[in-house]
Amino acid sequence: MSFESFSSASLLAAFIVYNLAFLVFVLSILGKRWSRRDPSAHTRRWGWFAFLLAAAGFVCHLLFFFTRWYGSGHIPTSNMYEFMTFLAMMIMFAFIIVYLIYRIPVIGVFALPVAVIIIAYASVFPSEAQPLIPALQSYWLKIHVTTAAAGEAFFAVGFAGGLMHLLRTVEYKSDSRKAKREQQGVEFTLFVIVMIIAFVASTFLFHASGYEARFSTQITQTDKAGNEQTVDQTTDYVLPPIVKPHGSTIVSMKPFLGIDKPLFEAPAWMNGVNAGRKLNTVIWSVILGLVLYAVLRLVARRRLGEAIQPILNGMDPEDLDEISYRAIAIGYPVFTLGALIFAMIWASEAWGRFWGWDPKEVWALITWLFYAAYLHLRLSRGWQGKPSSWMSVIGFLVVMFTLIGVNLVIAGLHSYAGV
Amino acid sequence: MRIENTKCECGHQNYAGTVLCESCGKPLYDDHGSEPLEMRYDGVARRSQRGNPTWLDRIWNFFSSVKIAIYLILITLAASVLGTVYPQENTFINLDPSTYYKQTYGTTGEIYYLLGLSHTFDSWWYRLLLFMIGTSLVICSLDRVLPLYRALNKQQIRKHPGFLSRQKVTLTCDIAEPGDQTSQEQWVQTMASVLRKRHYRVHTDGTALMAEKYRFSRWGPYINHIGLIIFLLAALARSIPGWHMDQYMGFIEGQTLKIPNTPYYLKNEKFTVDFYKPEEMSDKFRQRDLIVPKMYETQAVLYQCTSRCGTADPVLKEVARHPIRVNDPLNYHGFMAYQFDYKETPRLISVTPSLRNKQTGEVYGSIELDMNNPQKSYQAGPYRLELKSYFPDFGLDEHGQPMTKSNEPKAPAFIFTITGPGMEKGQPYLYFPRMIDKDTYRQDDVNGAVGQLLDLSVGSMEGVKIAQYTSYLNIRVDKALPYIWFGAAVSMIGLVMGFYWQHRRVWLRVDDGKLLLGAHTNKNWFGLRKEVAAALGKAGIEADPKTLETGRKTL
Repeated sequence: MSFESFSSASLLAAFIVYNLAFLVFVLSILGKRWSRRDPSAHTRRWGWFAFLLAAAGFVCHLLFFFTRWYGSGHIPTSNMYEFMTFLAMMIMFAFIIVYLIYRIPVIGVFALPVAVIIIAYASVFPSEAQPLIPALQSYWLKIHVTTAAAGEAFFAVGFAGGLMHLLRTVEYKSDSRKAKREQQGVEFTLFVIVMIIAFVASTFLFHASGYEARFSTQITQTDKAGNEQTVDQTTDYVLPPIVKPHGSTIVSMKPFLGIDKPLFEAPAWMNGVNAGRKLNTVIWSVILGLVLYAVLRLVARRRLGEAIQPILNGMDPEDLDEISYRAIAIGYPVFTLGALIFAMIWASEAWGRFWGWDPKEVWALITWLFYAAYLHLRLSRGWQGKPSSWMSVIGFLVVMFTLIGVNLVIAGLHSYAGV
Repeated sequence: MRIENTKCECGHQNYAGTVLCESCGKPLYDDHGSEPLEMRYDGVARRSQRGNPTWLDRIWNFFSSVKIAIYLILITLAASVLGTVYPQENTFINLDPSTYYKQTYGTTGEIYYLLGLSHTFDSWWYRLLLFMIGTSLVICSLDRVLPLYRALNKQQIRKHPGFLSRQKVTLTCDIAEPGDQTSQEQWVQTMASVLRKRHYRVHTDGTALMAEKYRFSRWGPYINHIGLIIFLLAALARSIPGWHMDQYMGFIEGQTLKIPNTPYYLKNEKFTVDFYKPEEMSDKFRQRDLIVPKMYETQAVLYQCTSRCGTADPVLKEVARHPIRVNDPLNYHGFMAYQFDYKETPRLISVTPSLRNKQTGEVYGSIELDMNNPQKSYQAGPYRLELKSYFPDFGLDEHGQPMTKSNEPKAPAFIFTITGPGMEKGQPYLYFPRMIDKDTYRQDDVNGAVGQLLDLSVGSMEGVKIAQYTSYLNIRVDKALPYIWFGAAVSMIGLVMGFYWQHRRVWLRVDDGKLLLGAHTNKNWFGLRKEVAAALGKAGIEADPKTLETGRKTL
């Protein structure tokens, strides 16, 4: 068994154990109603068991990380797959810290899914270890990426806490305009999460079924000597093409549900790298997200937020609010150090400037400014509770855009971390 | 103008704008409420709250507002988002932005360019935003830190009951018989020693107690702001002449170039690039069949010019030598050279052809022709070759006249006048070192009779020196860098101080056997409640952390 496959097996084990831990966390809260035991003793015992499971999963995750490091000879944080699995590991680390401070099992019900979804999302990206290009050959790769991810992981736990606070405090019985707006906001957040799950699941299913389609586009390139030449660029689809890249021809396409050619063509202005495929992925995600959401709604027979709310009924909203704030307060200095200061030191060593307004740098700054606004609003303007929770949810969205969106949508110097 | 009576009933004279008496803590407004008190900055008056403002006060008041600071942060945030929509102008080296954005991104691109968003981060308004944030940092901090320092520096131990009962963490209960002064004082002493064990600094005054820990964490935000101000000033200082230089230069192997505006010359002695071998890649990656560079390096020598600088033959003194790699620049007293990029550009450096008699096969001798700096004349045996003209990048203009297309030796051509036995008057001779040019421009036909007799050519590849690569270096000077790092370090220290410690205070007083306790922290109420409950437990009062909390909203 090679290091590469042992490592992958460890990650799979971690993934499964995390899922189990999540289920036990849920049981620790729901179970207290149907067992005849003392409810708080039940929650304490099963919560503790779930926590130990989560910690065991974390150990498997560490095993994955270090065997992969040993196998490839460099720290596995150099492409999207490696970074996302690492981020999930740091989220589990942040969860363990916050859990040990507050010892409230319900944190596990919300923090674990964040880590699980991120691992699942990571596996959409090519998983092979890549040789390190010269720009990444520096010990700052270890320092900068790990610290930045640790800071972001605490923001992720802050997001989980904020979402918990919102789910706990949104009034589903009320008809007031404010309550309605909050209900819709929570529901939309949950829909986005459902959509990501649908996207990951569909990518896996189509990949496993061996579906593929290939398009070729003629693009004109200017080479370094200034000569124009036409090259064929092929784009491979994993998901059945609803839209094809602009100006492309079908090389091969397996029929899907009897449809053997794409329904639409991407508009001409979408001419970025693989823009057609990305648009196709977005369309699929929205469709499948809606389908999965509809199924869940039918099963629950009410809004998802309303269905989840009972889990949180025993919780003190102010504690949830504080957990969210605390996680962000722990994460903020770490993020500043890792994503800005260490990044600047490395940039100054590798590229000769500590700051170059590269999109990734700017988005790290945007994240930092956003949480700076969050902290000032909270500490000086008294924004606690709901407004603060909304900001922690939006803040995590900004973090994820910085990590993934910038690579997928905006090109820049950090493009080696791309798909 | 409103005249306020700012004297508290305890006799302390407060500044106008004070919310809680600086001495006893009695709420000066909203005297009879029961809501938890607003404890920000301990209720002291800030400079910006003084009455009768002058225009300077008005500016001060504007920038001292946290609300304004948050608006500035959010506007900067939004501007930064817009700045990343399309690539900024400075990411391209040669580009006409007025047409590029329209051609590449259509109408939205044109609007983007016309709004000036294509150079967001160099624009005056973005700079102004950063400058305003800097001003706000200075003024907000000064406005608060001085009064806060004063308030924390002279705290009274016995606080007003209205102050204690309206803290977020509070407790009242009976602990002794109303007349029993000794047991009351004893209990306060027990509590004092319990709190001391928890690292509190405890002050008692009979039956009143004040305990405090980690006050330094209150200064964290201000230290962080000072760090940020230093950082911003350092970034601003880069516009001081001579503090900042940034240029990109291409060095062909073997080439020495003058670095503009400096006394330095830099030579690329050798450039090497290494690629990953297939066996160094993982199994799956190998299938992608990509070429990945492993390492590239410029053997660089830095010279300082001592005289005749800028002329064709300057006097140079070697001062530094370093293999420059990505992540490993050359650094000579703040003069930095970074490996930026490389390009495969096969170029002739020099050739060493021999002059040969075509009929007899006799070899007269060889000459060394330098493509960058050829000599005026050469001697090969009895023949003398005077260089009449040199075309590094040979071509013909519209009149069929020879010309050079560039200064780079892409297609070098030499025109000599050969004098020697049999040609005393001197004959013109055209020489192309590259075989392909020799054929294209029909060297032998042009040379005519001389070409029949003499042949100048290179026997083997040994006589040819080729530079394979051009190494692109980024030449920099940045004198602000140490201050940048200093500012960042200060800011980081402030953040750690402010976020990883919390300022906790516990006050209590016992009046007529009745305990009144209040506690405050600037962060982490959960921890404070737990700590107060545990301390009370040690002193014989059972309290649940939850019941200590007042004014909680019930849902």
